[in-house]
Amino acid sequence: MDDLRIGTIKRKEKVKLLVNGKEVPAYKGETILAALMAAGYKKLKRSPLKKESRGALCGMGVCFECMVTVNGIPNIRSCMTEVENNMEIGTDE
Amino acid sequence: MNDKEKKYNVVIVGSGFSGAVAADILAGHDLDILLVDENIHLGGQLLRKIPPELGDHSSYRPDHVKKIGFRFVENIKNKKITILNRTCMVGIYPDNRLLLESERNEVFAVSYDVLLFATGARERFLPFRGWTLPGVYSTGLVQVMMKSSGVLPDREMLIAGSGLFLFSVGYEFLKNKGKLLGIMEQTGMMDKVKMLPLLFHQFSKFAEGAKFLSRIYLSGVPVRYRRAVVEARGKDSLEEVVVGKVDSDGKVIEGTEKIYKTGTLGVGYGFVPNVEGPQLAGCDLEFSDSKGGWIVKVNGALETSVENILAAGEITGVGGAFKSINEGKIAALTILDKFEKVGKDDHLRQLKRLTKEREHHMEFVHYFNSLYKIPGGAVKVIPDDTVICRCEDITMGAVKEGLGMGFNTPRALKTAVRVSMGNCQGRTCGPVIYDILSILGKQERESIGPFLVRPPLKPVSIGAMAKYNK
Repeated sequence: MDDLRIGTIKRKEKVKLLVNGKEVPAYKGETILAALMAAGYKKLKRSPLKKESRGALCGMGVCFECMVTVNGIPNIRSCMTEVENNMEIGTDE
Repeated sequence: MNDKEKKYNVVIVGSGFSGAVAADILAGHDLDILLVDENIHLGGQLLRKIPPELGDHSSYRPDHVKKIGFRFVENIKNKKITILNRTCMVGIYPDNRLLLESERNEVFAVSYDVLLFATGARERFLPFRGWTLPGVYSTGLVQVMMKSSGVLPDREMLIAGSGLFLFSVGYEFLKNKGKLLGIMEQTGMMDKVKMLPLLFHQFSKFAEGAKFLSRIYLSGVPVRYRRAVVEARGKDSLEEVVVGKVDSDGKVIEGTEKIYKTGTLGVGYGFVPNVEGPQLAGCDLEFSDSKGGWIVKVNGALETSVENILAAGEITGVGGAFKSINEGKIAALTILDKFEKVGKDDHLRQLKRLTKEREHHMEFVHYFNSLYKIPGGAVKVIPDDTVICRCEDITMGAVKEGLGMGFNTPRALKTAVRVSMGNCQGRTCGPVIYDILSILGKQERESIGPFLVRPPLKPVSIGAMAKYNK
């Protein structure tokens, strides 16, 4: 998959994420949302009534549209949480 | 009161420009200071850079005012201040106690003698059909991804909305080799030109804007004025954007629609002050269109209507970095005076100088917010099937129905149709509902009154609250 990371930034420590069971590369210091975006994930959750696909909107912890499941805990704002090695992320595509 | 609760002389909520400046000045005066911020890194929304643990970004050159800001943020890290990042205000008690939630989801209280709110601003939205599709991002998100994490939202994108920030984000996207399909500005070019003389008051702002604009024009990216998004389309994520020409009232002129094929759209319509914390604390608000909507009412010393609670920065009028620095200084001075840490003459002399500076910044505030003015017609044309409240899936049709039945205040509308009742507690749709209540409901904005806020200010798990109450 295409990597959307900006090439001019030399990254340091690589970590491994499991997104819906699939291995996705990430780097220490990135937010979960950044790692998901870099790997091309846009659909993160479903809306409550219409069950439409939703993705991140504000990127700064206000809108709660980027919520994912992290290590089994639901409703975590991916824009406000940093990646950790072997983190298991679940999206509701 | 719980013995474990820490006592502070000063608690500052928010570590953006004004919070960081105030903290830096107050440190070293033998005061116990706590600075809390909900974000991972200090610095608020403007002072963003690649964190050192992520990687080396030595080519990043912050502009003049951001250099000053980053210096304050670095300073306070090395001073005798308690800093709690990833910590969020969830409530406040009348006996000078603040309820907070830590990153480990622990709820705890701290007490203060003086509280300073420096909670900044968030982005404002204007719904259109399809704005809920994944791939429609706020321009702020696009900026955050590039600046804080070094990630492009996509290889190519379209930008739409109003105000200078669109150009700032477009500039950053081009600089990082993104393909920018165009910038679609809701307002007319002449609206901007008319205000140019005012902008000369802040020359560095003017120079910054000129840099963004020239880079974008030189790159050949189409910049179109009086254009608005009619619709975003796609099966379950964005595939194409329909843009149309609009009249001065924001209504789309039929037959002018153009389709842009893109999976990513950045939208931004200006900023809204984060007044929920002060509001919960009982601080009086006032409505001012030219200051960004509902703002915290303050006197010249930045004291709110509640004793020993101050407000600084965007929440007293959205105006950017220079104003926030100035107000951070004024707030710190008022606090030092309260604790008798500054001589009377010195205090008055400094306050006089800073107040003069502040008047000058306030002129910019009026200019800045007029750039983002959303015309009334733009709200009238929102289709009935368009979601207004994203958290609860409430459509424009449902809002209109509620309004038609006489539910014409934010509170009544909330009760009647559940709008603004979800996770974000109306932070996203609230300003839109204001526009709807005032334009469709034909009411003066001031008379509608602000949204009601309730604790917890942000969602807290029942488990965390239960543990706190034990």
